[in-house]
Amino acid sequence: MKRSARFLALMLVFALFTAALAGCAAESDDDATEDTTEATTVDTFTYAQGADPRGLDPALVDDGESSKIIVNIYEGLLKYNEDSTEVEPCLAESWEISDDGLSYTFELKEGVKFHDGTDFNAEAVKFNIDRQLPPLVTEDMGYAGFVFGSVKDVEVVDDYTVKINLTAPNTAFLANLAMSMAAPIVSPTALEAGNNSVMEAPVGTGPYTFVEWNKGENVVLVRNEDYWGEPAKTKNVIFRFIADNSARVLALNNGEVDMIDGIDATVVDQVAEGGDELFEAAGMNVNYMAYNTTTSMFASKEARTAFSQAIDREELVASLYQGYSEVAETILPSFVPGFDDTVKQVSYDEAAAKAGLAAAGITKVHMIAYTNPRPYNAATGVALATAIQGYLQKVGVECTIDTYDWTTYKEKVKGGDYDIAFYGWIGDNGDPDNFLNLLSDPDPSMNIARWQDPTYIAGIKSALELPNGAERDAAYGDLEKYAAEQAIWLPISHAKTLAAYRPQVSGFNYHVTGNVFLKNVVVEAE
Amino acid sequence: MLKYVIKRVLMVLPVMIGVSIIVFSLMRVFSPDPAPIVLGQHANEESMQAWREANGLNDPVVTQYFAYISGALKGDLGTSYYTKSAVTDEIFARFPATIELAVAAIVFASIIGIGLGVMAAVKKNSIFDAAGSLFALVGVSIPIFWLGILFIMFFSGFLHWFPSGGRIDVLLKPAEVTGFYMIDALIAGDGEAFSNALNHLILPALALGMYSMAIITRMTRSSMLETLGQDYIRTARAKGITETKVIAKHALRPSLIPVTTVIGLQFGSLLGGALLTESVFSWPGIGKFTVDCILKSDFPVVQGIVLLVAVIFVTINLVADLAYAYLDPRIKYSSKKER
Repeated sequence: MKRSARFLALMLVFALFTAALAGCAAESDDDATEDTTEATTVDTFTYAQGADPRGLDPALVDDGESSKIIVNIYEGLLKYNEDSTEVEPCLAESWEISDDGLSYTFELKEGVKFHDGTDFNAEAVKFNIDRQLPPLVTEDMGYAGFVFGSVKDVEVVDDYTVKINLTAPNTAFLANLAMSMAAPIVSPTALEAGNNSVMEAPVGTGPYTFVEWNKGENVVLVRNEDYWGEPAKTKNVIFRFIADNSARVLALNNGEVDMIDGIDATVVDQVAEGGDELFEAAGMNVNYMAYNTTTSMFASKEARTAFSQAIDREELVASLYQGYSEVAETILPSFVPGFDDTVKQVSYDEAAAKAGLAAAGITKVHMIAYTNPRPYNAATGVALATAIQGYLQKVGVECTIDTYDWTTYKEKVKGGDYDIAFYGWIGDNGDPDNFLNLLSDPDPSMNIARWQDPTYIAGIKSALELPNGAERDAAYGDLEKYAAEQAIWLPISHAKTLAAYRPQVSGFNYHVTGNVFLKNVVVEAE
Repeated sequence: MLKYVIKRVLMVLPVMIGVSIIVFSLMRVFSPDPAPIVLGQHANEESMQAWREANGLNDPVVTQYFAYISGALKGDLGTSYYTKSAVTDEIFARFPATIELAVAAIVFASIIGIGLGVMAAVKKNSIFDAAGSLFALVGVSIPIFWLGILFIMFFSGFLHWFPSGGRIDVLLKPAEVTGFYMIDALIAGDGEAFSNALNHLILPALALGMYSMAIITRMTRSSMLETLGQDYIRTARAKGITETKVIAKHALRPSLIPVTTVIGLQFGSLLGGALLTESVFSWPGIGKFTVDCILKSDFPVVQGIVLLVAVIFVTINLVADLAYAYLDPRIKYSSKKER
């Protein structure tokens, strides 16, 4: 026994050493062949994100990590413009909306095939929407209600024409169809084979085909050689999952990965030191403070305005977010249709604030805040609340802040026991209604200002029904102005999205929705 | 022997029942409601209620527990709330990575630990002894995650000897047979994949094994010292047997008895405690996954993993006990002399 154990131990040590040496040798061999055969570009692009996708069935997930992979495998009837959230044709070549706004007829692109070789056609569209409508919809389809909630039924007119009937006019429906959740079209054959789920075996029509998912490690995609458009430029795309921020930066600086996301201001210097490039994208979100308009304290516009005047948002945003958030003058981010740069929030005026607060008799304010960082507020709600507490102290108002973890916080918001609360919104479909209807929502966990203004509610309802275009955009601009004038929220900031990439990388489209389209990505050989 | 084994195996039952009750209750008492986490930004009261109903969370806890246990006995640990995959699939997709890392770590810890321990004992009070003890002290004291980060910064970030994380360059991944990449690479006869997997394994295994290595060093040293003080060692030396032979043949084997138990226990805790190492090295094992699932209130997955780790821990203890009995002939398997 002893001898064999010793022998085994020796063999293991020997194996470890020889293999380690072999490893070094093999690696240098690799580099040599790459240099000679691949003169200009590398055939693999590796993207590192913080976590595994929840899954790869667009109807069954709701997270950004899934979304980034999904948009490279699937396509929807419509897509967003590269730089904004305006919608453009994709699998649908054109569409017509009936005069009453209740029927949308789409002409589909012909000759498109799913990765499994089956045809994309009107039946496939119907199948995908039907699975997310009653009676087939299941309780875990998080976006089915949002995207297809207004759909009455789907008719197959002919092989390449599909008609979607709505229960009420809803122009935002078009923006919904460009989303990366619920809307992408999945191969019906694959869904049938997978028992109504393609979480781990996605089949779409996109520029990349799914190869494998090593849980906790990576997802591998390969170029779809039969793509209906121009094929992707890089053959292999690998999404790697590296949880730790600085480890992700190190992997980038080491050249183990080509691009990373989910980083924050603390590692920006490290990225620069490694000779890598930083990418700042505007984010589709808003970080705001809301007055509880049902309290006697903040029922009046004057009291809300006076409180808002005490806060210097320029200074606040600069110090809290270190340049990685922009001051929000509007609720809508600048790239969303309906954005109006003439909207102005209550501006900073310490003297006016003091007078106004004294006139309203406000001396003590009860705030609630969340302790977790959020995508729209990396500094946490508590940090934001504390900063605002400081401004109010200067004008003689004492703020008490109750703090809760995010899950408990949401319960407290629902409870409504606060004068002021903090929240944010991550846009879903890039339609202005998605942001601005928060202020008209009857559900107090959405509309935390608990504002129910008939003028505003009527305005939201009619704007939703207007066709896309200047008139609709102007309607939302007016609604923003009205809300700003009433000082219901104090929008604080729009958080930017930070990513970093190696200088050899070009051609990616980091979209404002947070998705990364990799069809045109190219990695030059070093 | 058989009776002893059967008795030990039966003792596993109450442990498992206890573990399952504890983890089941803990998750339900202390974890936040999974419904809003699973349903996300658009969750409303109605959809959350429907989801809870569909996942049996509206039933009394006792009913839920028995439903869970009856499933578990049939090998069905349920479905992850979050990813909707079978819990067993989720676990076994990651478990080989954890075992591979733990085995590598324990091999490293045992070889170095026993070596250092023997050296320290034989050259007692010499510079070797002091160095060994210092090394062991440092190994016990350094937090693993910190050591891991240091390793990455130095060996990967500065020297570029090893990759900073992951298990293998995915395009080299061998065809999956066992799920252990190094073994799969050997089966496929792919030297490049083998060395690539090994390269990825070395840093995390060193970091993870450091603590166990220190414990094993200390244990070997004290056990060896005790043995070397025995009369029969003096007799052996008096008979003129060479010192090497005395140490290797007469002293080492009995000294390894307590060390074996320690190695067994350490291996168990490596499986459960690889969490930090896995996080630091982006090692796709079960440790990091467990924490993610706890944070997401993914009850079925957490329960499944805890049960599995408990089974393994108990089994390892059993094996260690049996190995102990084998190494020490004085231990009989009869119930009379059982400890």
